[in-house]
Amino acid sequence: MTLSFIPILLIDVLGSVAMVILALLSLYKARKLRGMDPANAVFLYLMWISTGFTVFAVSRSFGHIVRQFLTLTGNGLAWQSISAYSGSVNTASFMLVGLITLFFNQSWKINEKILSGREKLETAHLKLMDLNQTLEQKVVERTERLTSSEHKCRRIFEQSLDTIIVADSGFKIQEINASGIELTGYNRDAMIMEEMTLGRFFQDPQEWERICAKINEEAYILNEEADFLRSDGKSVFVLITGGVDYGAFGCAKSYHFIIKNVNDKRNMERQIAQADKLAALGELSAGVAHEINNPLGIILGYTQLMLKEQSDFEDDLKIIEKHVKNCKTVVSDLLAFSRKGSLEMQPVEMNKIINDVIGFLSNHADFRNVDIHRTSGSDATFLVYGNEQELGQVVINLMINAAHAVKHSGQIDIETFKTERDQIFINVKDNGTGIRKKDIIKIFDPFFTTKPLGQGTGLGLSVGYGIIKRHGGIITVRNRSSSGAEFSIKLPAYSEENYI
Amino acid sequence: MRPETLHRAYALGRHCCLPAAMTAMAVLFPENGFATQMHQGSEGIITHQTGHLLFLFSMIVLIFTVTGKGLVREKGWRLIQVSAFFFALWNIDALAVHFLDNQIYAVKLELISFTDVRVMTNEDSPFLAYVYYFLKLDHILCVPAMFFLYRGLSCLLADEQKASEKEETE
Repeated sequence: MTLSFIPILLIDVLGSVAMVILALLSLYKARKLRGMDPANAVFLYLMWISTGFTVFAVSRSFGHIVRQFLTLTGNGLAWQSISAYSGSVNTASFMLVGLITLFFNQSWKINEKILSGREKLETAHLKLMDLNQTLEQKVVERTERLTSSEHKCRRIFEQSLDTIIVADSGFKIQEINASGIELTGYNRDAMIMEEMTLGRFFQDPQEWERICAKINEEAYILNEEADFLRSDGKSVFVLITGGVDYGAFGCAKSYHFIIKNVNDKRNMERQIAQADKLAALGELSAGVAHEINNPLGIILGYTQLMLKEQSDFEDDLKIIEKHVKNCKTVVSDLLAFSRKGSLEMQPVEMNKIINDVIGFLSNHADFRNVDIHRTSGSDATFLVYGNEQELGQVVINLMINAAHAVKHSGQIDIETFKTERDQIFINVKDNGTGIRKKDIIKIFDPFFTTKPLGQGTGLGLSVGYGIIKRHGGIITVRNRSSSGAEFSIKLPAYSEENYI
Repeated sequence: MRPETLHRAYALGRHCCLPAAMTAMAVLFPENGFATQMHQGSEGIITHQTGHLLFLFSMIVLIFTVTGKGLVREKGWRLIQVSAFFFALWNIDALAVHFLDNQIYAVKLELISFTDVRVMTNEDSPFLAYVYYFLKLDHILCVPAMFFLYRGLSCLLADEQKASEKEETE
């Protein structure tokens, strides 16, 4: 049967070309697909199968085209010689495609495992991210809280008006706040660099030893009283509260102290007590003086009348007159102390009073070997509203006491100055022996004297105290850090507005 | 003797037993040796046909695997499945052609001229001649098969690119 060869020829040749083109295009797509996700086993499989199909299409098409060409050109024998090779390659290629195709299921399973693993990995990653974020958030929150807490503690430490000290196990100062620096007068760096201990501030080493023993035994101390010695030698009365931190979170043992400066409070309490005592004594003295004053006046009057006439008892009467006059002076002083004396108040210039007193005393035998230094804060006048005679008496008393303290051979400084708060200060300093601690609190008591019997009545300072108080001022005393004592009078400055 | 040593000796004896027996046979009963087997006759066409059968089998497996895994929901895999179907048909076609002309020699094709060809059948069966003639136009099946494979891969690539773009946008 004869049939047309054209369809076979055309379809064979064109189909072979189309097969090669399509196979190459498929391989290109498969490669691109694999490039999208190199870890995808199915895409890898598709690339393999496309490669197999390309090999199959090329080998087959080559064979078909060459066969048609050789047959049509009358070289059938040539085709016979190569057909076996072409057929073998063709057979191998589609066997290869078949084998690869059979691995699809395995490839799919592998891919599923990879995808499942990847999904688990992503889930774990997300969980980790979430945990990490939560952790970071928590760390941020805790850090903020810690910072805030640290800031509060730091503010308390720095802004506290009481001294706060952190010391190590050997009581060496590790931290001290600004109030502590003000209290002790030492430099912070010096304290830390020189490894100063808290004990160095104590005036009395035995007091420090007692406090050390107590805090080590009981792990705390509460409101222990002590005298601190400042860097400038001044004494400050303090209350100490402290505790032991035995250390946590790797910190070493340390001691924490809160030290309250109660120097002013104690002085005030002492002054109040003194004022109360003196007020009571004043009342008593006033009563006694009033009762004695009249009989003394009568005794003195009769004695003087009797002295006007000649008698054998003239010498005795003079002795009586002398001692009655002494008694009158004491009574007069007592009345002055208890405000019972006459009082003429007017604006007076303190500098003038002091200069007059110095002028008067410089000629006195007790002051011949005494070096008197006079300093005044400014050239301005220091007017106070008071009684010139009484104020002069106070200054004289202080000067005489100072001369006795320096044993009539030393230095006395008299200083006057005015503060911005309209307070006038008169300081009388000597470089004598100072006042014993136990005597200081009694120094303004009437009849208290440290002078030998018969040399002092013990009324000078108490009268002075009464006068200054009556003038609205304060008189205080302290031992100087170098040597000697310092009496300080504070009086309100006079101004017209205040006294209209 | 320790049990491990005994077990090791037994395993060694078992592995060496067959080679030792074969060596003994060769030495004791010598014969003529044929180094390699000869390949002749219809061995080539049988191999080729086996290849087609393997190709056909793999394509059928692929068709069912794609369905079994629910991949027909994706256009790309659907097209690959169609491609596999056409390749399966092409394999059947090729098997039939090779069976007719190379195995049972029922049909022979003789080129008369550039335009005509003579189809000779054993019993001059025009039906067989026509069937053979159409079966010879096998590119009608394998070209679409390759086209659908290309289209399937193109669709899968497009889907993957879209998914990738979406991921990047998110």
